[in-house]
Amino acid sequence: MKIRATSPADTRAVAHRLAALLRAGDVVVLSGELGAGKTTFAQGVAAALGVGEPVVSPTFTLVRLYDGANPPLAHVDVYRLETLQELHDLGFDELLDGDRIVLVEWGEAVTQALPADRVVVHLEPGPGPDERWITVSLHGAAWQARRAALEAALDTLRDHDGDAR
Amino acid sequence: MLLLAIDTSTRRVGVALGGARGLLGAVELGGPGIEEPPRHAERLAPAIEYLRTQVGVELGQVSAITVAIGPGMFTGLRVGVTTAKVLAQALRVPVIPIPSLDLLAYPLRQATGRLIAPAIDARRQEVYYAVYQPVPGGLQRATGYELGSPGDLANELAARGHDAIVCGDGAMRFRDAFDGLDRVELAGPGHAAPDLASLVELASGQYEREEFSSPADVQPLYLRRSDAELAWEARGAAAGW
Repeated sequence: MKIRATSPADTRAVAHRLAALLRAGDVVVLSGELGAGKTTFAQGVAAALGVGEPVVSPTFTLVRLYDGANPPLAHVDVYRLETLQELHDLGFDELLDGDRIVLVEWGEAVTQALPADRVVVHLEPGPGPDERWITVSLHGAAWQARRAALEAALDTLRDHDGDAR
Repeated sequence: MLLLAIDTSTRRVGVALGGARGLLGAVELGGPGIEEPPRHAERLAPAIEYLRTQVGVELGQVSAITVAIGPGMFTGLRVGVTTAKVLAQALRVPVIPIPSLDLLAYPLRQATGRLIAPAIDARRQEVYYAVYQPVPGGLQRATGYELGSPGDLANELAARGHDAIVCGDGAMRFRDAFDGLDRVELAGPGHAAPDLASLVELASGQYEREEFSSPADVQPLYLRRSDAELAWEARGAAAGW
């Protein structure tokens, strides 16, 4: 599913629609270059889950927990990690216990540590200054079963031309 | 002699006060059946304070702090081991570190003639485990502290060809790996978390023999999983490296 966002508010709107379908235990990879809007997307998810506090990039804290969210949310950034063991040492595997939604920025670098069932949200800049292409792809059998619900949720935001490419 | 005992190596937070004659009291919060994030950091200090108040002792009366050092939950262990070290340093008392698997096996040592195999959930479909055999007066560990699949432990037990009892939250979570096995029995939820009375008992013995550590030397027992480097093409491209 490919969606064109023309502003950060648009990006957050896509995040809202996705967040409404997320359950504890779900893993969402946020991929894209520096400045592509990964943190903006994460802010959208967090706001939709009821996080009142500011959501900032966890690049330097590595993991931020939002236990006030419903369901509880973990926002992870693996950008500064060099080895898989560092990720295990963060207690990453315990975040996947099933009692939270887990957002992983740069998660494509740690595919081996991720569950088979996951959503990948790829953000890339478009031609306009605030324009972004947001590609949502689903991995694993559990998400295939939920594909229709997600497509329905994102349908009105989709750029159907873009999707057909 | 008064010991403060701390275990945060599973999803349960456990605190006890006691000595050579047993427990004065204990607090246990959370466990494998609770479907919410474990809150070791928020729960541990209030649990210690509640217990201390109810039992009616001052922290200044504590002679040593004993802590379960894993292997187990990374996030929990960090909270428990750090709290033990900080308290010990502030109170100027030693720390007695005890491996968590020992604390799961110890209360089952009277299962005479059977091997005891505790398994702690290590995530990623793996468990931390060890195999113990009862010997007069206690237990002897027959393997290292291992990290492997539940199937690895099942194979280990099958290869030994003895009656065995498996316990711990890892055994409960992956009970299917053990359910069909001849000569292997699964212990109940009462044996899901390291036993606090055993922690105090084992630590009391060590205290009497003056086998303790300085707070600075105590570390969680981490079993390493992977030395793989991350595939960083994406970051390299983005950052121009």
